Amino acid sequence: MPQFRLLLNGNLKELARLTTETTRFCRQHSLGDDVEFDLHLVLEELFTNSLSHGACRGAEDIAEFQLSNDPDGVTLEYADRGAPFDPTTAPAPDLAAPLRDRPAGGLGIHLIRQIMRDFEYQRLDGWNRLRMRRPIPAEKPK
Amino acid sequence: MIQVTEETRAGWHVVGVKGRADSEAADELEAALRAAVDGHPKVAAEFSALDYISSAGLRAVLQAARAAETRGVEFAVCSLSAPVRKVFDMSGMHHVLRIHGELPC
Repeated sequence: MPQFRLLLNGNLKELARLTTETTRFCRQHSLGDDVEFDLHLVLEELFTNSLSHGACRGAEDIAEFQLSNDPDGVTLEYADRGAPFDPTTAPAPDLAAPLRDRPAGGLGIHLIRQIMRDFEYQRLDGWNRLRMRRPIPAEKPK
Repeated sequence: MIQVTEETRAGWHVVGVKGRADSEAADELEAALRAAVDGHPKVAAEFSALDYISSAGLRAVLQAARAAETRGVEFAVCSLSAPVRKVFDMSGMHHVLRIHGELPC
């Protein structure tokens, strides 16, 4: 199973590296534009969440992610060293709320849940460990 | 990274945004849209050349829409590319924004 792993520092500038490396992985394995877009989005949301909520900002090697693909989809494992937080049970934002009442947060996790399947959380040895899959529908080869 | 162009078309101040509206570009996007809302009665954000948007980019658009509402400025979002449209749809943006297939002007 082809795999790719990257360690990230607690700095928003790392987003560019995350994006470049994810693109490289997707193109190497001909995963298609839709999958590439979704992985960029999910990884950005995970990483910026780590930076804003996890007290990880400014430190080195605060997060790591791993991508592995098989014919049915891509498995993403993401971990950060921040405060314990389980996004799989976070409340959903009220998307129908009027503009002035709409909460600023929670949208990133909502997007991850819309895109990914089999979303799992574990707190292990001081790390938040997430695992999820982006299925690739068989009937739509790219 | 984004590039912003501005023009006037049939009474609308059109802000064209090209590139990736990610967390790094969100402040720049919000500033550009807010400046447009500050100075014009009808503002259209034209996103046909926008390749990507994350929740940070969406927040920038929502902040501009809030500012427009406060000032009584008409604010519309137009010409979304298919992947960006998907993010808008998943986020329920149609509940709070005027989204057009093409420019309203």
